[in-house]
Amino acid sequence: MIRPLFHLSAALALTSLLLAPVSAQAHKLRERGAPVAVADTPLTVTPSRDWNRLDVRLGKNTEHWTVDGEQLNDVIFFAAIEPGKPLVRERSKKREPLPKFTAATLLVEVPELLETTWRTYKHSGSFQMTGIEPGRFLGADGVHFTYEFVDQDELPRRGEARAAIIAGKLYMISFEAPRLHYFAAGVEDFRKLADSARLP
Amino acid sequence: MISRALCVLGALSLLVAGEAQAQPAPPQPVLPPPYAGAYQPQGVDEIGLWREMDEDERVLAQSDLAIRDEALTGYVRKVLCDTVGADRCGAVRIYVLRQPEFNASMAPNGTMQVFTGLLLRVKSEAELGAVLGHEFGHFEARHSLGQLKAWRSGTDVLAWAFVLGSLAPSYNVARSYRNLELSVLGNLYRFGRDQERDADRLGIGYLNGSALRPQAASEVWQKLMGEYEASARAKGLKKPRFDRIAFTASHPPQAERAGYLAELARPDAATRDDGAERYRAALAPWLGMFLDDQIKLNDFGASEYLLQALAQGGWTAQLHHARGELYRMRGAPRDLVNAAQFYADAVALDPAHAEANRGLGLSLLKTGQAGAGQAALRRYLELKPDASDARLIGMMIPAGEPQP
Repeated sequence: MIRPLFHLSAALALTSLLLAPVSAQAHKLRERGAPVAVADTPLTVTPSRDWNRLDVRLGKNTEHWTVDGEQLNDVIFFAAIEPGKPLVRERSKKREPLPKFTAATLLVEVPELLETTWRTYKHSGSFQMTGIEPGRFLGADGVHFTYEFVDQDELPRRGEARAAIIAGKLYMISFEAPRLHYFAAGVEDFRKLADSARLP
Repeated sequence: MISRALCVLGALSLLVAGEAQAQPAPPQPVLPPPYAGAYQPQGVDEIGLWREMDEDERVLAQSDLAIRDEALTGYVRKVLCDTVGADRCGAVRIYVLRQPEFNASMAPNGTMQVFTGLLLRVKSEAELGAVLGHEFGHFEARHSLGQLKAWRSGTDVLAWAFVLGSLAPSYNVARSYRNLELSVLGNLYRFGRDQERDADRLGIGYLNGSALRPQAASEVWQKLMGEYEASARAKGLKKPRFDRIAFTASHPPQAERAGYLAELARPDAATRDDGAERYRAALAPWLGMFLDDQIKLNDFGASEYLLQALAQGGWTAQLHHARGELYRMRGAPRDLVNAAQFYADAVALDPAHAEANRGLGLSLLKTGQAGAGQAALRRYLELKPDASDARLIGMMIPAGEPQP
C-alpha cells in the first residue's frame, strides 16, 4: 500500500550484499555417521543422514541444524542451559525479557518454558501443546512433547521436542517444520538424531 | 550550469511547497461513500489499491490466526453496527485474529482486523465501539488512498530533486536536498497523524450518534497508558512519555488522543449504558484463552494490570487461576508462595477447576510442601484424567498412597 522509499531499499540491498557471503561460507556440513559435539558442550550426536549446521545462533548454548533451510525443517539443540538463563539470547534484557530456566523448574514445566519463550521471541499468537509424555532422553528420565504453532509468517507449523534435566542443567532438542509435508517428511530423521544424542 | 541547476531545484521545491500549502485537497468529483451499496472503486489508484487489498484478504481469510467463530464475529459486527449504524456496517468484513496485542486495523476495501488483545483489554461495548468506529472512519474517509497519493507525490518530488541536484554536485545542493528530504518526510508522517486524528473525530462522532456512552473512547486510551506504565515499572524502565511525537510517529500520542476524545464526547450522553454486562457475557467463553495468551507473553506488569482491571467486578476462579499462572511462570521463590495462594483462592471458589489444582500442586511442590502438592495433583488427575500431561504428572505422585 505504501511505496518504500528508494534510499531505504537501497540501504537494505547494500547490507544484504555485504552480509550474504559471510554467512553463506560459515555453515557447516554434518556428515552421516560422524559423531559431532554440539554447541561447544560435551553433548554429542551421530547423524543418520547429512545435516547442515547453520551459522545462526539463537544463544550461547544453542545450535541450529536443517536440511532444506530453517523455515522448512529446523532442529534446535539447547545444550546445558544453566539455571537463571533463558533458552535463547534476549534481544533486550530490559524491554523484552524472556522466561528463565530456574533450579526450581520441574520437568513438566519445560514444555511451558519453550512455549512462553517462543510466544515472546517469535511473536507467535497461537501455540498449543498437543501432547506431553514421559520419555527417556540422554539416558535420563525426561519429557517428550509435541506442539503446533503459527508465528509471524502465518505458516502453521508442528513441533516435537525431547528434554531432560541433568545435573541441574536443561538439555533439549526440538524439531519444527511446516505442518504441510515437511513435518512428516523430516520427523523420523529427527527422532534418529535425538536417539543418537549422548552425554559422557 | 551549477547555478542554473540550483535555480531549478529551488524553484521546484518552492513550487511543491507552495502547492502543498495552498491546495491541500484538490477539487474532486463527488464519489459515493465506499460503504454505499455494492460500491466499486473509482479511478486507477483506488482500483489498484482495492485489488491489492483483495489479494491480502484472500490470504487473511485462510490464515490459521483467524478465529472462525460465528458467535464471536457476529457479536463484534453487532457492536460495529450499533456504533456506526446499520446502513454503514454492511460493507465491512470482520476477521478476529488471535494476536494478544492491543490493535485493530482497516483496509480500504472494507476488511477489518480485530486482534484478540483488543477484545481482552476493552471492557464494554462502548469501548470496543470507539476503536471499531475509529477504524471505520479510516474506511469511510478513504484514508489509505490519500496516504498512497501523498507518499507517491512526496517521493516523486524527492526523486526529481535528487536527479536535478546531482546535475550540480556541490555542498550547498547536497544540503538543500537533505533539508528538502527532511521536510517532505516530516510532512508525510504528519499527514498520517492528521488522518488518525480525523479518524478519531469520525469515530467519536459515530459514538455520539449511537446509543452507547461516548466517554468510553477516552477511557480506552487512559487504560492503555496505565498498562504501559505498569509494564515499564515492572521492567524497571523509565516512565514512558505519552505526550511526545517522534519524527516518524504514525499516530498522535496517547495523551493527546485521550484528551481530545474526552472533550469531543457529548456531555449529556455520559449517563448512557455502555453495554459492559452484555460485553462480559459475550466474551465469557473466550476469556480463558485470551488471558492465557496474554500471560504467556512474559510481560508481568501489563498482565497484572489487566488482571486487576478485569477483577474490578470481583475476582472469579478464572482470574485467580490466571494470576497464579502469571506468578508461577515468573518463578521467583516469593512468586511461588503467592502463586500457591492465588491457586488456592481459585480452588476455594471452584473446587472442580482442574488447571488451578495442577498449578496449586506444582507451586506447593516447588515450595517444599510435597504432601499437599501431591494431593492437589491427584485431584487434578481425578478431574481431568485425559489431560495431555496426565502421565507425567502421574509420575510425580508416589504410587500406592491412600486416596484423599
